[in-house]
Amino acid sequence: MSRDVDRREFLTLAGTAAGAATLAGCSGGNETATETNDGSTATDTEASEELPEPETREEHLQRTNRLVHDDAPWIFLNRQYSVYGKSADIEWEARRDERIDGYAIEPTGSKSSVTITQSKMDTGLDPHDHRETTTDNIVTQAYEGLLERDREGKVINQLATGYERLEAGQVRFELRSGVSFHSGDSLTKEDVAFSINRIVDPEAGDLESSQSDQLAGVTGAEPADGDSAVIVSSDGINPVVFALFATYCDIVNKSWIESNDTAYINSNMEGTGPFMLDTYEQDVQVVFESYDDYYMDAAPADQLTIQSASEPSTRVNQLLNDETDIIVNVPPQNISQIQNADNASISAVPSTRIIYNAMIYNREPFDSVEFRQAMNHAVDLESIVSNVLGSFGDQTGQPTLEGFTGYNPDLDPYPYDTDEAERLVEESGYAGAEIELHTPSGRYLKDLEISQAVVSYIDELENVSASVKQRDFGTLVDELVGDLEASPSFYLIGWGNAAFDASQTIIPLLTTGGALTSYNNDRVDELMDQAQSMGGES
Amino acid sequence: MGSFGRFLLKRSLQGVVVILGVISVLFALRYVTPGSPVDFIAPLDASDATRRRIAESLGLNQPFYVQYGDYVVSLLQGEMGYSYRSRTAVAPRVFAKLPATLELAVAATVVAVILSIPLGVISATRRHTGPDYAATVFSFLGISTPNFWLGVMLVILFAVQFGVFPTSGRPVGLLDALGHLVVIAGPERGWALPLNVGPFLAAMQNWLLHVTLPAITLGTYFTALITRLTRSGMLDELGQGYVQAARAKGLPTTLVRYRHALRNTLIPVITVVGLQLGTLIGGAVITEAVFDWPGLGSLIIDAINNRDWPLIQGSLVVIGAGFVVVNVVVDALYVRLNPRVLE
Amino acid sequence: MIRRLLDAVAGRLSPRTVQNLRSEFDTSPLTKIGVGILVVVLVTAVFAPLLAPWNPEAQNLDRSQQPPLGFTSAENQTTQETVDGEVQLIEETVQVNATVTHPLGTDGLGRDMLSRVVYGARTSLAVGVLGTLLAMLVGVPVGLVAGYYKGRVDDALMRVADVSLAFPSLVLAIALVGLFGQAAVEVPDPLVTTGLAAAIRGIVSLPGGLTYPTGMPETFTLPGTVILVVGIVNWVWFARVARGEALGVRDEEYVKAARSLGGSDQFIIRRHILPNSITPVLVLATIQIAAIVLLESALSFLGFSGTTLSWGFDIAQGRQYQTTSWWIAAMPGLAIVLTVIGINLVGDWLRDALDPGIEGEGGGV
Repeated sequence: MSRDVDRREFLTLAGTAAGAATLAGCSGGNETATETNDGSTATDTEASEELPEPETREEHLQRTNRLVHDDAPWIFLNRQYSVYGKSADIEWEARRDERIDGYAIEPTGSKSSVTITQSKMDTGLDPHDHRETTTDNIVTQAYEGLLERDREGKVINQLATGYERLEAGQVRFELRSGVSFHSGDSLTKEDVAFSINRIVDPEAGDLESSQSDQLAGVTGAEPADGDSAVIVSSDGINPVVFALFATYCDIVNKSWIESNDTAYINSNMEGTGPFMLDTYEQDVQVVFESYDDYYMDAAPADQLTIQSASEPSTRVNQLLNDETDIIVNVPPQNISQIQNADNASISAVPSTRIIYNAMIYNREPFDSVEFRQAMNHAVDLESIVSNVLGSFGDQTGQPTLEGFTGYNPDLDPYPYDTDEAERLVEESGYAGAEIELHTPSGRYLKDLEISQAVVSYIDELENVSASVKQRDFGTLVDELVGDLEASPSFYLIGWGNAAFDASQTIIPLLTTGGALTSYNNDRVDELMDQAQSMGGES
Repeated sequence: MGSFGRFLLKRSLQGVVVILGVISVLFALRYVTPGSPVDFIAPLDASDATRRRIAESLGLNQPFYVQYGDYVVSLLQGEMGYSYRSRTAVAPRVFAKLPATLELAVAATVVAVILSIPLGVISATRRHTGPDYAATVFSFLGISTPNFWLGVMLVILFAVQFGVFPTSGRPVGLLDALGHLVVIAGPERGWALPLNVGPFLAAMQNWLLHVTLPAITLGTYFTALITRLTRSGMLDELGQGYVQAARAKGLPTTLVRYRHALRNTLIPVITVVGLQLGTLIGGAVITEAVFDWPGLGSLIIDAINNRDWPLIQGSLVVIGAGFVVVNVVVDALYVRLNPRVLE
Repeated sequence: MIRRLLDAVAGRLSPRTVQNLRSEFDTSPLTKIGVGILVVVLVTAVFAPLLAPWNPEAQNLDRSQQPPLGFTSAENQTTQETVDGEVQLIEETVQVNATVTHPLGTDGLGRDMLSRVVYGARTSLAVGVLGTLLAMLVGVPVGLVAGYYKGRVDDALMRVADVSLAFPSLVLAIALVGLFGQAAVEVPDPLVTTGLAAAIRGIVSLPGGLTYPTGMPETFTLPGTVILVVGIVNWVWFARVARGEALGVRDEEYVKAARSLGGSDQFIIRRHILPNSITPVLVLATIQIAAIVLLESALSFLGFSGTTLSWGFDIAQGRQYQTTSWWIAAMPGLAIVLTVIGINLVGDWLRDALDPGIEGEGGGV
């Protein structure tokens, strides 16, 4: 899209709806045409009532997405992109799940060591005692799980060589043989069972793991009799169990964990991965070296260093000065600087994170479906994606991202239509409403700017006024997780779902009793209950 | 015990009381601020039971006086407890960040002293001339400019537009750079004169490139301040009888200016600069934020945003105690140089 | 109470002092400049809804990052298009020209920088003045009591002061704002709610037939925590000055006389000790306003504020655009420098004319 000011100037002075339509119309062939169908929502709602009962799990999830789209408990915003800068000295492509796999980085030429600059360092090295991507990226260089994902997000084997469902609540993983920890100890089925139990059972490993919810439904694991295998039990059928194990649960050495204290476990590593810890300088850097006895080919890089710089401009600067090879979270305004440099380029993928505005379903004025739909129509999402995010984002119209199990391809984002929005607000009976959007700042890519843009669009409606309230992330979350009563009515938050399954977004965020829920709809609850009691692995 | 000894003892005791107060205030702060540290550690969707167990594992279920007692005892043993978030020891983390902040503060002071004292002297000795007006305008601007904005402007000008300096970061520390010299001239090489100083020079150059803009940013306020102090001090001294007498004796004017007048001017200047140390450290915190300089500032801001109380307390106790100690030393120095104030 | 304070001020200002103030003002061009700047900033802050060309929060994404008058900006821009899940990068060069409607340019969301600078003056001065008042209200009584009673009371209060001085003010302020949360108060803007702003803006005609938009923000966000914190952080300076003054006069004959006549301590402090400290406290207050304006901007810059309409906040925003749009950070910074210079010049004037024996300048962030 061009940003020719003179033409815009003309259009603005013309100030007519025709002018605006012309602008939308001439935005070029590289964008989806703006929807102009005013009645689309109404048609969708009617259509969904006539739809046949869903049968498979996938159909249940898709139906839920349709319900949520129509009932609009959120202002659906954007899918966040992971935008990396990489040096010309390496070959590497970004993954979808926000992780960087050091094993996949290939230094070219005479280079043998690779450096990654993230936004933050780890919060300790215990693989079961953290939940941030920045720490994940460090610990998963040395620790591995039973399953893994490829760059596209497909489930593949890691320490398991096969997996199968035995019965409703039981699955079995066959273990790879010849795997050793960095200390030289061999991997045993007892280690695997211990690792799983350490996460799900506070008694088992003497740890209150913050990851227990990541293995939702899993109740425990035990070594199989005879063979080198582990049997994992779940509450109910747990259709996403393999998806969860492909993302979470690093395998640790039981005897190493049991014989060391917390501070030691948090500053040392004992995994089975392609890299072993060389030096750990907390808050500064972590240096790994290639593990010679790795069960597959040794990593292409002999040495891997992970460091951090919280300012994007510092990271860009480091990359352009050849001080690092990969940098994370390049903001839109720096992308072309890297793309135009001789020694670096951009690698970008759609991530697994969705950014949305929750509107608490039983709070005025958000207890009106019409009002919530109006808010979706009020926001020019296309403009936010192209101007605020520099086009590095996708518009969304449902809680599930494209490519996930349960994504409903028939749903489009709400079209930008202020007349429709104002009409719906009148219909809702909440004309004149004043609303305040609570937003974190700096937690997600351009979060504050997105909030300011959303509020500004809503404020442009004749019959609603809106303002933004900047919040400290910690205290905002503090209010969100407790009682629904304590939560602000209207807030921006981002949710990463590395399991690639609709249920891992909808259950926590949109069902009754979900940990971060803002919504309550019996039909959604019912559909999700049914979906979660069905097979059909993702 | 002489009167100076008594003064030193009394002042040190006062210092100890203040440090104890600092520790207590920081500890009390945890109980009067909203939000539990647990909310910052527990995952978004953690259950109440999970939260309770996390609180227990951090010792937060103990009565506050037990926690306070434990904390003071551990401080006396040189420990600062364990971070809530990473579960690792706090003391080594704080002390690992200290060199970055100190080298920034020292570099800024060096910039300030090198520039300001000649500027102040020239300004005083050539009163009402072009250089004097220039120095006065500069010092007035320097005092009125927020240093973080100056930093951003310097980055835009010298890093983004001209590309002379890097925008930010500290890839190598001063001690690491100096470390190269130690290895070369170390005992294993028989203390031979270093012939290959390449790595040292490269590291030093890298450090200097990165420290220049932050040092100017942090140092400008002090340059301006000391220029003003030097100027007014020199003007006072030059009006004193002994300078007039020295001139009458035929001593060359430059000697009079630099030997006598400047030495007398510098005593109050040093005192004021010592007392401005708090401003220097506060300025360093925000300068670090502008240049992504990995010192105590970023540690404190992260710790506050995460409610990582052991880390907040640890880093603020170090700053507070350091400040009190420096104040006592400056007071002592001042009294030593001006014994009259004791009478 | 206020009446008595004003009387005290007037009473303390002898004809000679008034004469000094006047002659300083007449002879020093710098003082005139300082007073001029301060008047402009004050008027801007008070009448922001009349003076700002646009609503400072109104965005126009199609006009983002527009340069100020006299500049053009040509930037390379890389966008993406996702085809079958694979990201493809598209590069283009964008030329953006300045327009008279945004003389200082626009920020990353297309908001008018001039309007944001105008409204930023409100935040700065509100925090500066209210914070200083709070510091004064806490610090002066403490200092007077300490100086009047001397001995143990003095020792105890001064140790408390030492503890609060042991932290650099910025570090202490960050900690307090960060830990207590960033509460803010929405204050209705009388100029807007009465319709006055809209009426006046409606009749102003601009060359070229352009009209000013009339919808201005109805409320103004006052960062409450920040005001409390800067007051708490700076009370100690007032305590020190007041204590010094109290120590100086507590043994004067007229105070002794009042005591032997049976005057209560409270009465003596209020009637005899307080008036004596008013001049130095006033001079200190001027300097403190400058220091607090700088402190507020630093806090906003670091994200420890309660408002998104502040010079420091805009500098932080502008920093993200430092490679492409320098003016977003530059403009609000110039406003800070100008304001602080104005206050410092006025402070110099008062100090030179009243000679309260206070050194220093408002600054140091």
